[in-house]
Formats: sequence, C-alpha cells, structure tokens
Amino acid sequence: MKKIIVGMSGGVDSAVAAYLLKKDGYDVEGIFMKNWNEDDDCPAEEDFKDALMVAETIGIPLHSVNFAKDYWDNVFKTFLDEYSIGRTPNPDILCNKEIKFKAFLDYCLDLGADQIATGHYAKIVQSSHGFELHKGDDENKDQSYFLYTLGQNALSKSLFPLASLTKNQIRHIAKDQKLPVYNKKDSTGICFIGERDFKSFLSTYLPANPGSIVKVDGTIIGKHDGLMYYTLGQRQGLGIGGGHGEKNAPWYVSDKSMDTNELIVVQGKNHPDLFHTSLTASQLHWVSGKTPESLNNWSAKIRYRSPDASCQVEHLSMDRVQVTFNQPQFAIAPGQSIVFYNKTQCLGGGVIDTRSRETFE
Amino acid sequence: MNCYFDHSATTPIDSFVSEWIQENQSIAFGNPSSTHAMGRKSKHILETARQQLADVLGCASKEIVFTGSGTEANNLVLYNLIHQEKQHIITSSIEHPAILSTLSYLEPFGLTFTLIPVDSTGTVNPQDIKKAIQSDTGLISIMVANNEVGTIQPIDDCQQIAQNFGIPFHSDGVQALGKIPIQDSIHNCDLMSFSSHKFYGPKGVGFLVKKDSLKLNPFIIGGGQEFNLRGGTENIIGIGAMALAAKSAIQSLEKSSKHISNLERKCISGIREIDPKVVIHGNHQSHIPGLVSFAFNKVDNQTLLTQLDRAHIFASSGSACHSGISTPSKVLATMGINEDINLSTIRISFGKHNTQDEVDYFIQTLKSLILK
Repeated sequence: MKKIIVGMSGGVDSAVAAYLLKKDGYDVEGIFMKNWNEDDDCPAEEDFKDALMVAETIGIPLHSVNFAKDYWDNVFKTFLDEYSIGRTPNPDILCNKEIKFKAFLDYCLDLGADQIATGHYAKIVQSSHGFELHKGDDENKDQSYFLYTLGQNALSKSLFPLASLTKNQIRHIAKDQKLPVYNKKDSTGICFIGERDFKSFLSTYLPANPGSIVKVDGTIIGKHDGLMYYTLGQRQGLGIGGGHGEKNAPWYVSDKSMDTNELIVVQGKNHPDLFHTSLTASQLHWVSGKTPESLNNWSAKIRYRSPDASCQVEHLSMDRVQVTFNQPQFAIAPGQSIVFYNKTQCLGGGVIDTRSRETFE
Repeated sequence: MNCYFDHSATTPIDSFVSEWIQENQSIAFGNPSSTHAMGRKSKHILETARQQLADVLGCASKEIVFTGSGTEANNLVLYNLIHQEKQHIITSSIEHPAILSTLSYLEPFGLTFTLIPVDSTGTVNPQDIKKAIQSDTGLISIMVANNEVGTIQPIDDCQQIAQNFGIPFHSDGVQALGKIPIQDSIHNCDLMSFSSHKFYGPKGVGFLVKKDSLKLNPFIIGGGQEFNLRGGTENIIGIGAMALAAKSAIQSLEKSSKHISNLERKCISGIREIDPKVVIHGNHQSHIPGLVSFAFNKVDNQTLLTQLDRAHIFASSGSACHSGISTPSKVLATMGINEDINLSTIRISFGKHNTQDEVDYFIQTLKSLILK
C-alpha cells in the first residue's frame, strides 16, 4: 500500500485531500507544517487544532514540522530583497518552490512516504513525455499559477487529490464527512502576514523612505510613505483623491522611479500608461525540464487570476524571454511571475523584469 | 506493543483509583457545602482526602489547599505578591512556564523578579540566590526537579537561605511527588505545589501545601471554599481520587523508583551502545529516576519523534508547544546547550508500568532508525 503524506494546514482543502486519499485506500499520514514563527512561543495553535480534529475524524496520524528557518532563508529574504528594489514579489510561488515541494517533500520522502499530497487546485497528468501540470477543473480556484516552478521530480512525487473538484464540491464532501472545518473561512493574503496590516508588517523589516507622488510631467501632487508600499496599477491608498484632475477620475500608480524615489501616477484606469504590450522575464522554469520548441500560440497569466492572454514568446537567451501580447495588458508588475499555458496545460514561467509599450518585431 | 514513555507529561490513572472513581462518581454528587446527607457525604470524601494527603505527606490537613492544577497552585502563590509590600521574587531560569510566564504577566502589577542561572547540568547554585536577595524580596521559588531534564535542585540549601533571611520559600514539586522522597522538603518549605495527573491520579486537580503560619490572600473569589483561598464547588471525585493516588505513589515509591531506575539504566546503556557520543542532559548525580533527556547529534527530533510514534513509542521533545511544533528548548538553551543538540533532543520518561521488554523494543527501534 502506497504511503502518502498530506501537508495539512488546518483548512478545508487539505482536509478533503487527506480524506479522499484515505477513502481510496492509501496509507495516509498528515503533517502540519509551520513556516513562520510568530512573536509568541506557540505558533498556529488554532490551525494545528483544526488539523488535529480533522486527522482524528478521518483516522490518520498527524505530526508537525517546523520549516521556519528554511522559509526565512529561502523565501522571506528574497521577498524583502525584491520589495527593497521596488518590485512586487510573490512569496507563495517561492514557498511552493523552496518549501512545500522541496524541503517538505524531502522531509516526507525521508520519512518513507512514496508521495506527498496537498490541497492545491491543480492537476498532474502523466503522458508519454512525462508529467504535465494542468489547471484544476475549478477554473475559478485554479492554483497552477503558483506551481509553475515544479519540475518532473516534484510532480512525480506529488498528488493533487482536488484536481477535478470545485470548491463547492469540496465543502460538500467536508460537510458530509463531518470534517470539523467544512465551513472554515478560506485563508486570504500571504500566509505569514495573515490578516495583519501589510504596511505595518513590511515597515518592521524594511526602512520606509517617503517621497513625492508625481504626474508623468513631473508635477508634484502629493507625498508617499515609501515606494515599497505601492503596487503598479494600484488605485487605493494614494491619499490624493481625485480632485486634482479635470474629470475627478481616480489616480493609479503607473510607475516607480527608484532613482528619484518618486511614485508616478496617472488618472483613470484606462490611461494608456497603465498598459503594456510586452515584457521580459528571467528565472525561467519549464515544467517538462526542457525548453519548449514551439513558443507560439500560448497564453499567459501575468498575475494570479488574471485572464489568460494570448502572446508570442521569444528567447533572448537561455534564461530570458521576451513576451509580446496580442492585447495590451494592465499593470504588468516586475517581480510578479508570468506563467505560460497551452490551453489547460501549465508549461512554466518566469519572473517579470521589464515591461514595454513598443511592439517588438 | 504500545510503549508510553512520556510520564513527565502525564501518567495513566491507577486502576484502583479508576475503580474508586467509577464507584463514587454517581453517588457522591452532593455539594460539600450542603448540610443534608448528600452534602455531608461529599464533605466526608473531601475531608478524608485532605487528611489522607496530610498523613502521607507529614503535614496538617489544614495546610492542604486543593486547586484545579499544579499551575493553579503556582499562580495562587505568585498572585499573592501583588498584595504585599515586598514584591521582588527570586526564582530559577529553568522553572516551568507556570512560574515564568506568570511572573512576566504580573510585572505590570508592580512585581519584579530575578532569574537565577543554572550550570550545564541544570543545577542552581544556592549562593547565587543569596546574592540576589534584595530588601524587598518577598518570595524565593525554586522547583524541586526540572520537567525537561530531570535535574533535582538543592532546595533544602535554598530553603535554608530563605529562612535565614526571613523570606517565604515556595517550591514547584509537580515533577517530584512519587518519584523522590519529599516529606522533609514539605516540612521545611513554606509552600509547595503538586499536580494529581503526574502521579497516576486524574487530570484537572492539584494542591498546594501551605504552612499554617503563612497567610495568603484569596485567589478565586466566590463561596469561600478552601480556607477562603479558592472559591468554587470542590472537585470531590477528583480530589478523592488524587488523595488515593498520592498515597499509593508515596507508599510504593521505593519499589517503583527501583524498577524505573533499572529501566533507565538499561535505556542509557542502550543509547550509548548506539552512539557513544550521545549527549545525555541533566545532573547525573541528582535527577528524577526514569527521565532520560538525550540527543544524537544532528538527528532532528521532529523526524525521530514521528518515526517513534509510528512504531507506537510515545516520547516527547520536552519543549513542544500546543501546536506540536518543535522549537529550541529554552531550558536547554539556558543550560548552554548548542542549538544543534537542542533540536536533536528527545525526552523519555518511564513510569511504573513500563517493562524491560519495552525498553528493549525501544532501543532496537531507535537503533534501526539512527543507524539506517
């Protein structure tokens, strides 16, 4: 009987994943993973309690593991570095790459697991070419975007039992099976920040450097608390209202000037400065392990849950691509990942470095 | 085979105690404060228990205050300081959180404290206590034995210093009752805390031994139960069961500690055979029998405990919190143990029901895990 270790967070998704595997006859164990040491001595008591209640209900053992040090060294430091140079990183992608499908996977294999499983909404398909990563059937919940850094080894050792289910079905199963977390609220935001205020969280780790908010022509129209607090395309939180412009339309962040420490804003969400037609990305990763031969007729997501956008991909070097979109894209943000798809198949992706309005031929 | 090796965390209820609970819990439900027959029956159980404890511990029954836990007994003592003029406490740096966290919590109420360091065996030097005494020191509290490494503190020397300076002396005796003789210490100390579930009694009940001459302020306010210190209808069945368990634990101490020490010796020679460089924590001259806190260098304790759990061997890291997440032990860190060894440390604590066969099985399992 195959031994499967399920990463259990105390949420409904991993609970149902564990239940489904147990029902299918696997030898299932749960491991509660903690990646962040809060200020108090005893982190995540509530989530652990939920995971334990689920494990006891299903009838599987539950153990704990602390990856706080790995997380700090391999995820959080990068996260801070990116913010400090004005980019907008995605720590959840890095967490999957460095922790869940590396440190945690290795830990479980060491413990004698044949495979690990998680509650991700994504699908692994074994084809003649190897293991393919696909979107989960619930397009609304699909998490393949976060998983593009997984390689053949990780995919061969992983199971996503929720691949074909919708969130509704999962809550239904949880309720039917009397899993105590069936109506637990989905977690939001970045795992380690939780429900805390992002701005005050970040300010405890990085010095804020206030500066001016300017229009494209250089006119100063306000002050900002530090460029790191703003995301390209962001509307709220500028503190300058809409009163300065002719049409009283809201202002949006179109760019950051690190040299002058200026936040550049434009008025109206359809302002052309908010749209770009191409980008370059590096730190490429291909799920198949090989650089794909055909780079055409793909679509891409430039952030989680952004609609798939048709694009052309051209290699500038081994680790650098240029992506040209058929339609201009709103608020492309350096530091975020671009993830490529061929229909439902997630092919891989990279981290966005630059964006441009010109169309490259 | 199920090997329960976590008796420092808690113990199973003695079977004869369990039978007594079964027999009495549905009939002795009266409120001991009621004057009718049902109330009198409960009051009788309550006071019999108090007398049994007093007899076996060598104190007066009026010196026994029942509480809901050992932690509560410690809290009762420490909270008292906020009512006093002398609000400075001296305690050791490796006390249980029932002491250390309570002191931190009480700081905003004016209380101050000095933490006495320990050496690499986890032992307090009584001279350090002497040096820490201030004009406003109102209490000295040193545990009998540490829960993580089992080191027994020289509490008689500590108590003597306190007495010389006219300062009340408290000791957390939770890890000691039933494991080492404590009657003399109880006689000398002004205050001592105990917990039922550490000596084969039920959970949710404990007691404080308090010198009659020492006056304390009420801790839980209500109906004035427990000499006006701890309001709330008494946990009659728990208290009755605890007294039976305490009596049995103390009367059979010699026999059980001999048995447990044998298991410990076997265990230690077994783990030394697996790796002669194994680190065994604590004071080897003076420690609680049956508690073995040890580390194979760079063998992650979370992994090892998971593997042992699978083999039905139930041990602990000694410092895991409620979420089961292993964090470096503060006790070991205070003793100067490096972090690698700290995060490799597991604690085995034997009890009277453990057998030589279980220890053999444990060593065999450990060997296959470590030398794989």
